[in-house]
Amino acid sequence: MARYGMLINTKKCIGCYTCLVACHRQNNLLPTENFIRFEERETGTYPNVGVENIPLQCMHCEDAPCAAVCPTGATYIGPGGVVAVEEGRCIGCKYCMAACPYQVRVVNESTGTVDKCRFCTVTATDGTKTCSCVEACLTGARTFGDLDDPESDVSKAIVELNAKPIAGDLTKAKIFYVR
Amino acid sequence: MSEKAITRRSFLAGSAGVATLVAGGFVGFGSWKQAKAAEKTEQPVLATAHSMCNACSSKCGFTAYTIDGKLRKLIGDAENPMCKGKLCARGYGYSQIAYSKDRLTDPLRKNERGEFEAVSWDQAYSEIAEKVASIIGSDGPQAIAAVQDPRPSGKYYTTRFVNALGSANVYTHAAACDLSRASGFLQTIGASTYSSDIVNSKMTMFIGRNYADAIRPSSVAQLQQAHESGARIVIVDPRCNNTIAFADEWVPINPGTDLALILSMAHVLVAKGLYDQEYVKANGVGFDDWAAKLVSYTPTWAERITGISAGIIERLALEFAEAAPAASIEQGWRAAIGSAYRNSGETARAVCLFNTLLGCWNQKGGALFTSTVNSGALDEGRFPKVPKPAVPLLGLDDYPLANPATGSVLQAAKLAKDGAIKGMFFYQSNMAAGYANPAYLAEALGSLDLMVVIDVQMSETAMLADYVLPDTSYLERTEIPEFIDGMVPAVALRDQVIDKVLPNTRPVDQIYGELAEACGVGEYFPFTVEELADAQLRTVGLSLESLREVGTSFFADKAYAYGAVPIWNTPTGKIQFTSDACVKAGLTATPEWLAPSVMPGSDDFRLIGGKQPIHSHTQTTNIEDLMQITKDYDLTRVWMNADRAAQMGISDGDTVQISSSVHSGTVRVKVTERLNPTALWIPSHYGCSSPEQHTAYGVGLRQMDFVPFHIEPAYGSAMTEEVIVTVKKVGA
Repeated sequence: MARYGMLINTKKCIGCYTCLVACHRQNNLLPTENFIRFEERETGTYPNVGVENIPLQCMHCEDAPCAAVCPTGATYIGPGGVVAVEEGRCIGCKYCMAACPYQVRVVNESTGTVDKCRFCTVTATDGTKTCSCVEACLTGARTFGDLDDPESDVSKAIVELNAKPIAGDLTKAKIFYVR
Repeated sequence: MSEKAITRRSFLAGSAGVATLVAGGFVGFGSWKQAKAAEKTEQPVLATAHSMCNACSSKCGFTAYTIDGKLRKLIGDAENPMCKGKLCARGYGYSQIAYSKDRLTDPLRKNERGEFEAVSWDQAYSEIAEKVASIIGSDGPQAIAAVQDPRPSGKYYTTRFVNALGSANVYTHAAACDLSRASGFLQTIGASTYSSDIVNSKMTMFIGRNYADAIRPSSVAQLQQAHESGARIVIVDPRCNNTIAFADEWVPINPGTDLALILSMAHVLVAKGLYDQEYVKANGVGFDDWAAKLVSYTPTWAERITGISAGIIERLALEFAEAAPAASIEQGWRAAIGSAYRNSGETARAVCLFNTLLGCWNQKGGALFTSTVNSGALDEGRFPKVPKPAVPLLGLDDYPLANPATGSVLQAAKLAKDGAIKGMFFYQSNMAAGYANPAYLAEALGSLDLMVVIDVQMSETAMLADYVLPDTSYLERTEIPEFIDGMVPAVALRDQVIDKVLPNTRPVDQIYGELAEACGVGEYFPFTVEELADAQLRTVGLSLESLREVGTSFFADKAYAYGAVPIWNTPTGKIQFTSDACVKAGLTATPEWLAPSVMPGSDDFRLIGGKQPIHSHTQTTNIEDLMQITKDYDLTRVWMNADRAAQMGISDGDTVQISSSVHSGTVRVKVTERLNPTALWIPSHYGCSSPEQHTAYGVGLRQMDFVPFHIEPAYGSAMTEEVIVTVKKVGA
């Protein structure tokens, strides 16, 4: 079985929110249901400045703290290592939101379920070639694939670009960043 | 949704493209409509159709995936030259306009109490026609005018309708967009636009143009490709915008002084003999006059005006000389060159002359006049020719340099206020909120005897109207084809991809055709939009059906080739370093330094505006998906330079009161190192004052409220950034 992961190259990110709105539209989410969250960092002082845009989303941790604290098993690690949510089992206690160090769990205001990025590729059906955010990214900042396959684009890019999880070994995250 | 109806596939199944998928489970929208008509089926019907986005004027091509006639998702068409397979946040988000709860549902008439009441289409048409007849009877057809933000059908039908009434007065939004640029270019090179060959350039400079925030996906891709292949990309902008990700250098110029930078770089090239002298001699007229003026524009002189050090200016000029002819100043758009300052038109002239010094026109990596294909002549029996109106477009006497293809809509507003224009039609134009000072425009448009607005939602402009006619959304109608310039010119189609959502809305072609009928000029509209689209396409060897299949079609035989000497479509047939028309219009013969009309002092700021990547002007702020991002990231904030903020005791997130000579308002501040200290930057999308737009209403400040009504001399633009504001911390 595959072990899915993603690379995000912040050097290519222009902070345009396209991934976020594509995620909304293609996955039919509510406007407030943001699976992707942006942080913006300025560096330097005027006029020698830089800016870094960092999109954050579920890191699909192998040791997912949100799954560990879920009292009903609604959050679980499914096939391919995708951290998933079973809507019917979620009681909306928000323990997962408190436990997630990346602050990327989000309440679906219509169902009360605390949802998250689903690595939608894995369940894609209609016309989507890869995750909506990956497909939509204007600058190719995102790469998705099987981390266990050394020949996958994502595995090769992680090695080539020396990509690292956003917060070191805080969790066993499966999204790797180039910064 | 039954998943049986679609071919379930996984990531590991391979990279089967859309075409395979269509074969597996989706049918064309036309087939879906037929299937629906033929039988009542329990199975959801999945369909795909090509169309074009309407979130901005780029009109990206996409494939719509629908379920039972409702939109499911969009995927950019890989072949479309505007999007190259990608849509932006606005494109995804704006698709929801079709299902907005704030859509206009019925024709509206304003009653004597100033309230809108629903009326039948026939009643609206007959009352409008009566007023049109009365205006033409008393003041002639030249008292009728229209404004449209160009879209394929909207442009065609608005123009045809107004011309059929006998008036030439069709304006666009250009005066608040690219009018000065187009007009300055016309005076100099005889063309209103050009394209920088960024990908193949060694150096490209962007002045007030921001590909990463005012997104056209294919342009972003080109810039990224250029950057990654080593082109030198320079961003001249008071704000370090998000394009910096693919740029080598940010030149944080004092706003309104771009002309001084260009003149000074030209000074360096001419003083050092580092320009293409042969090219200038062969193609230019009046060069010596310009060169004589350039003598005084030294980098030291420009440093005092622009805030950019003389050393940097000289280095940039030398880098250009080194890179030429694979180098250019990109054409810019709204800011700086387009319509922002008193010197925008003259800046546009200087840009063209600077590029001429580089000898870069039609050179690989330079500035190109790419290929165009247009519809040929149609059978006049089926598509009768509308006689040319007797009186030419109004306003060109007062603003003689204004591009006659768009005119100055602000002068039209003045003429409305003065009573020379008495009836106006608006199509997809939110003039009242976006083109100039809203209070002035409300008064000017309020003077009209007849104001008709065709739109999908209650815009601020619609609020002022006597009649509001509900359009279908762009997803619900077929339009005439859009011809696209480029290295390989193309044509694309906006087609109906979903079922009509609101039964009493009508598409723009039908509205104008019926209005024409009511006004007694229906003989010019004896065709359907499909017939017109098909006839236009047949003049270029295509058909409506064939274009529907592919969405975008290319004219490979008309592909652009480098090297051709352009035909300079100017009065002299040359690149005009001097222009008689400019002298006649009260300007100098060659572009000289012309200061902005106002300059900030040490205690105040120039208010400058710009786009965010999630909104198009005021058109998208009522989209919930997009406005939620505004709220989540506090994007209505004004930007202030960190040093200035510190001096004023203002911290990030503080609320401040901003005041200009005509308006005052409060807003939070983003304190940043990414802004020139003389500027205060405001996003140009917010401050919606239409209560019927429930998501957008009352959020943020509106840039145009702060800008006094004024018009750029000779060129006719809005001078949107000729405004000084004071800033005061609230509660301090």
